[in-house]
This record gives sequence, structure tokens and C-alpha cells, in this order.
Amino acid sequence: MEKNFIIAGFGGQGVLLAGTILANSFMLSGKNVTWYPCYGAEMRGGTVNCEIVVSDTEVSSVHKQDTDYALVLNQQSFDKFVQRVKSGGTIVANSTLVAKTEPRADIKYVFAPMGDLANELGTSKVTNMVALGVLASVVDVVDTEYLALGFEKVMGEKKKDLLQLNKKALEVWGNTI
Amino acid sequence: MNNKEKVLIKGNYAIAQAAVNAGLQCYFGYPITPQTEIGEYLSGVMPDLGRAYVCAESELAAINMVLGAVSTGVRAMTTSSSCAVALMQEALSYACGDELPVVLVNVMRAGPGLGYIYPAQGDYNQSVYGGGNGDYKIIVLAPSTVQECIDYTYRAFYLAQKYRNPVILLADGLLGQMMEPACFGENPYPEVDVSSWALTGAKNRDGRAIYSVGPDEKKQIQHIYNLFEKFEVIKKNETSFEEFETEDADIILTAFGSMTRNIKASMKVLRKKGIKVGCFRPITLSPFPHDRISELANKGKDFIVVEMNMGQMYKDIKYAVEGKTKVDLINRPCGEWLSVEEIVSSVEKIVTERGLAYATSV
Amino acid sequence: MQQVFSIPKCMKKDFRYTFCPGCDHGVAVRLVAELIDEMNLQEKAICSTCVGCSVFLYNFLDIDCVEAPHGRACASATGVKRAQPDKFVFTYQGDGDFASIGLAESMHAALRGEKFSAICINNTTYGMTGGQMGPTSLMGQKTTTSPNGRNADYYGYPIKIAEHIAQCDGTAYSARVALDTIPHINQAKKALQKAFEVQQQGLGFGFVEILSSCPTNWKMSPEEAHQRVREEMIPVFPLGVFKDVTAEGGNK
Repeated sequence: MEKNFIIAGFGGQGVLLAGTILANSFMLSGKNVTWYPCYGAEMRGGTVNCEIVVSDTEVSSVHKQDTDYALVLNQQSFDKFVQRVKSGGTIVANSTLVAKTEPRADIKYVFAPMGDLANELGTSKVTNMVALGVLASVVDVVDTEYLALGFEKVMGEKKKDLLQLNKKALEVWGNTI
Repeated sequence: MNNKEKVLIKGNYAIAQAAVNAGLQCYFGYPITPQTEIGEYLSGVMPDLGRAYVCAESELAAINMVLGAVSTGVRAMTTSSSCAVALMQEALSYACGDELPVVLVNVMRAGPGLGYIYPAQGDYNQSVYGGGNGDYKIIVLAPSTVQECIDYTYRAFYLAQKYRNPVILLADGLLGQMMEPACFGENPYPEVDVSSWALTGAKNRDGRAIYSVGPDEKKQIQHIYNLFEKFEVIKKNETSFEEFETEDADIILTAFGSMTRNIKASMKVLRKKGIKVGCFRPITLSPFPHDRISELANKGKDFIVVEMNMGQMYKDIKYAVEGKTKVDLINRPCGEWLSVEEIVSSVEKIVTERGLAYATSV
Repeated sequence: MQQVFSIPKCMKKDFRYTFCPGCDHGVAVRLVAELIDEMNLQEKAICSTCVGCSVFLYNFLDIDCVEAPHGRACASATGVKRAQPDKFVFTYQGDGDFASIGLAESMHAALRGEKFSAICINNTTYGMTGGQMGPTSLMGQKTTTSPNGRNADYYGYPIKIAEHIAQCDGTAYSARVALDTIPHINQAKKALQKAFEVQQQGLGFGFVEILSSCPTNWKMSPEEAHQRVREEMIPVFPLGVFKDVTAEGGNK
């Protein structure tokens, strides 16, 4: 098994952090994983993205041409990465900011109002965690329990008080559907 | 940091922390993407440890600060990238002539000139053959994973002092920027005794001078012979490489650094397609594993070199193969790493063009 | 019989100067050596040497020396001092090394307040390569690369090194001295001692610019050369202390 994920959005939406938490969750569940960010000029224009590859064996290549899953938090990222999803793959989009269109017939679409759900929890800052929760509901290999552990690992002792809120954010979509 | 625990860490941070673990006493650096995190990380760590961190005014100054620091027997390094490493070539030539254990990390970006920050492997020649004057050789280690960034950083400091020779850790933007689980462990190498040459003041001994130049022609000639004899010892003791499924292979894919991962994955795909492919990956780009490549060529194996430059290691493989078998190149100058799909289809194309009877068993 | 003159203890027993006859380098090196003896620094001294006439300093002084590439002595000395903060570290450079090719390294060492001492011999020419125009060549000076004399239009102006170094906040001491007369030599030794002391006291960068003669490239007798130092150099490069943080009333 080898799957790759692209997570993309505006700078400030916590895209790189979400990717780091996802990658940590894979590491903690005993899998091989790599995380690779866009950097430099790719980041100009306000969008950022990172690519995570998870594998049972050694990761084959860190940066791939196409992706099994794209998790996109804004319209620009949807437009860009909908083209990069493998045939049969899935794009998971934040419908708070992304119009519900299906430009390709050969991939699956999941729209969830991640921004709105985050605001209902009290802060748009947890949009990225809501997004990971949506991803977990769609992809078997992504697990909310390990995501919570990943969050703890990344944020450390200092941000322990934020754990409950972020756990809620992870679970909010699962509770909705 | 718990050394036994696996952590998800960027290549740049891994190199920085491994250097600290290896006993880095002084860091001198100047920012350049894609390696700036190394300096940023160390600027936070070094002062608390009572060790030196200097924001140098240029790469030129940084590498010469390293020359000064290591001449006193401590471990010191600078880190940089391609076009800025070009600025350091003079000092690397001095460090070889002076036999100083300089450690330089080059996280490659695209050239020539300023180029850009895309990952690339265009500094093979700059590292292995150097841009400095005179006859000299540098030890060059090329990690392919974040774990190896740690392991080879430890090794770089050890080899530099053991042989009194500069060592370059040659990484690339992809490796510097990516995160991967890795474990620091303990620095596995012993301390090196530097007391016979380090400059610590002429106490109870004569003054020592570390220099490369001599108005005495015979001495100068002998000095260069000695340097090359030393490098023969390094070659004998330290040449390292990895091989995968070369035994029954018809074609051997060859790559260095982080491209290693892609050729290994391509090998699996090609084998499923019935093409008997193996992999060979030099770990030390200098000393280069010429002898093993020559042996493999003697067994009739063809080579395909896969690299993110215009064919720099390709020339060394050809040199080692000596025309005994065929050597091909799959490459791109910089930017998006050659994907497994691209490598596989290029290999298939080469096989078809040659009409070779590689594809025999499925 | 009382011995009143001898070779300083920290000079090599068998040393032979490779400087030209009449050159002031020999006097400057001797002053440094006398101070190393008097201040008991031999066992803790490390010199970062330069490229130019003084490149073979390690053949004269019986102390630890490391060769720096041309212009990089202050960078190399920064490395040495940061690695060995308890040692006595100094550079001995020419004006081409310190103020032309190495100006960035020199100035930034001063700006960082690196705690070592730098000595710069200013003889208004590139001596080792046979008398070309350097950063300190005087207006009107004929050299092998300014055969009609230095003029501002074509060549620009000489640099006043000690004044520039004094402007750097990290500098603890900056002075210019000469070696053309006995009183000047005595002043020079005092200035060098001060530059060494500010290092010992951890106050910052200590710097001395030494106006020196170069009879060979100036095509003069040693006496004529000293006369040129007095009559042509000192009016352009005035002697004095441009910064001394230990002086009464602060900076001067």
C-alpha cells in the first residue's frame, strides 16, 4: 500500500501544520511516511501546499506527479489540484470557500463546510483540524485517534489546553454525517 | 530530545541537530534557500550550549571562519547552497592543502549562476572535482533519506578529523525541505585525537604552522604526493555504496542522493514488467566506487544513470565502465524530481530502442 | 658585560627575514615579538597570517600560526578566537590584504567587536607582486599599474583605514603609527600593546595601522623611503589614536 495526499489552501489556514499532524499520525501508527512542502516562489500568491506519502514499505518517491487524495481549503487550490487527482482518486474540499462543481467525471468529490463547522466550534483556526476529520471519514488509512496523537506530538506540552477543542474539531464532521 | 525516539523531522533540522550531537563547537553561516533552517535552528541551540554561532558577513567569511576554528582542533562547520558554495571553492582548496577538517553542508539548488531554489543535483562536479586551484580531493557524502542526513553528518565530522581532510555533505533541496521519521541515536564514532597538530598555543612545545605554501619546491611536491597517498588510504577504507538486486540484473540503475529512492521504486516496477533491473548507489561520491562499478561491468551489466543534472555522475560511471558495457542517462537539469513513471518509461524506451533481449522472464 | 639587545625569545632561533633590505616589516615583526615576550603571550598566541609580504610570518615567530587565504585573515581569526576564547589571537596583514580584498572581513570583524587584535602594514603598494597600485596608494603615486600617477578621475582615492575602523562600534582601539623615527617606533610599540591589552580585557576589536616604507618598490634608499613616509604619507594618513574605549572620558 502506498498513498499520497496533497493538502492545499491559503497561507494562514494551517495547511502545513495539518500535513505535519497527518504525517505524524502515520508515523505513530507505524507506517513509513514523508512530508514535502512547496517552498519559495511556489508559495507566492498566498497559497501553500504540502504532499504526504504513506507506505507500508519504503516510500517510493516523495513528490509525485499525481495524487490519490487532495484536501483543498480554498477555491484556488481546488482549481489547481483537481487536475492532479488520479483517476479514481478523491478530492476533499472546504465548501465554505469552494463552489460545489465537478469538473471531472473520473474522480470522487467530498464537499464539507469546514470553515463553517470550525466557526461553530468558536474559531476558524481549527478549520485545518475539521478538514483532517473529514479526510479521516473518507480514507481508511487516516485515523482520528492517531490524528489526535499526532496533534499532541506536534503541539507538545505547551499547547495541551488546546487538545480538547482540536479533538472536537476532528470529530465534528463524523458527528454531523 | 530523546535520542532513541523516532521523530518526524526536516532534513535541514536533522543535519543541524546531528551536528550538535557530533560535538559542533562553532557554526558560521550566511542564509540561502533551501538550507536556511540549519542556521536558524543552530542560532537557537548553540548559545544555550555555550558554543559559538556567528552570522558571517558572507559565505567567503563563513568558510574561512571554519578554517580558523578547525585549525584549533574543535569541530566547526558551515552550511550553504550551490551558488554560494561556489564562493567557498578557494577556501576548500586551502583546507585540503592545509589538511584542515572542514565540514561543509551543501543543500543543492538549481544553477548555473543564481539559478533558483528548485531542488537539483547540479553540484556533483563542484563537490567531487571542486572549483578550487591545484590538485586536491574532498570527501563527499551523499545522503538519500533524512535518517542518512543524521548518520552521514556524524560520519562527516569523524572522517574530517580522522583524515584531516575537508568533507562535504551533499544534500539537495528536496532532502533539506522534506520531513521523514528518523532517529538520532548516539554518535557512533570515537573521539579523534587532534593533539599532535591542533593550534592551541606553543606551550611546552615549538610553535606550529598550518600552511599549504612552500618556497621549497621539493617540499611542495612531496606535500602533494602525501595528500594523494592519504586519499588512497581514504579510498581503501571509506569508499561506500549500496546495491540492490544487482546479482541477476541485466541493467543497473544508478543514482545518488535522494534520487536513490526513485530508482529503487522504479526497479520494482520494471522487474514486474520482466526487465531485470538492479540498483547501485554510491554513498561516497568521492572517493567514488570505481572498482565495484568496473566489476559489475565485467559481468556484462549495462548502466543507466538517473540524475537531476545534465549528466555529471554519468561521466564517472562511463569512466569506471571503460566501454565494457553500455551506459545511458535519464536526466532533467532541475526542478520536479524524475518520477517513478518517467524513469520506468524511459528505461523501457531505452530497452526497446536497443532491441535488447532483456525482457525474458515475467 | 651587560647585554642590552637580543633577539626576542618568541622568535625562531634560526629565522632569516625574507623581507627586502630596509623594509619596515622587520621592525614591525620585532615589535610584535617583543610584546609577546613582555606580555607573556607566547604560550597562548595564535596568529592568522595573510597573503603578501608577511606571508612567511610563521618562519620568523615561534608561535602557532594558521595560513588564511588572501584577505580572509580577520575571518580566520574570528574562527580561531570563537573556538579558543582564552587564547591570544592576532592577524598581521598588509593594506592590500586588510583593506582591499579583505575589507569586508576586516570591517565586519570590527563591527562584531571580535576580541582579537589586527595589525595592518600600510606601505601604499602591493609589495609582494612588485609595486602595483593598492587601496592606500597616494594621489599622484606612480606604480606599475598607475604609471602616470594616481589621479582621482581615473583611479579614485586612497582609504584611511584606521579612521574607518574607529567608526565601528565594536572597535575598542584604533590607531595609526609609523616606523620612520625612533620616537615613532616607540609610539608604535605602545599602540600595539594597547591593541593587545584591549583583547586581553575582552573589550573588543583592537587595531593598529602601521605606516611602513617599501624602498624596493618605491625605488628609494631606506633613508629616502622614511623621508617619504614623513613628508608624503603622514600628511595624508595622520598619526594618532582614533578610538580608545579605555581612555578617560569614553571613546577617545
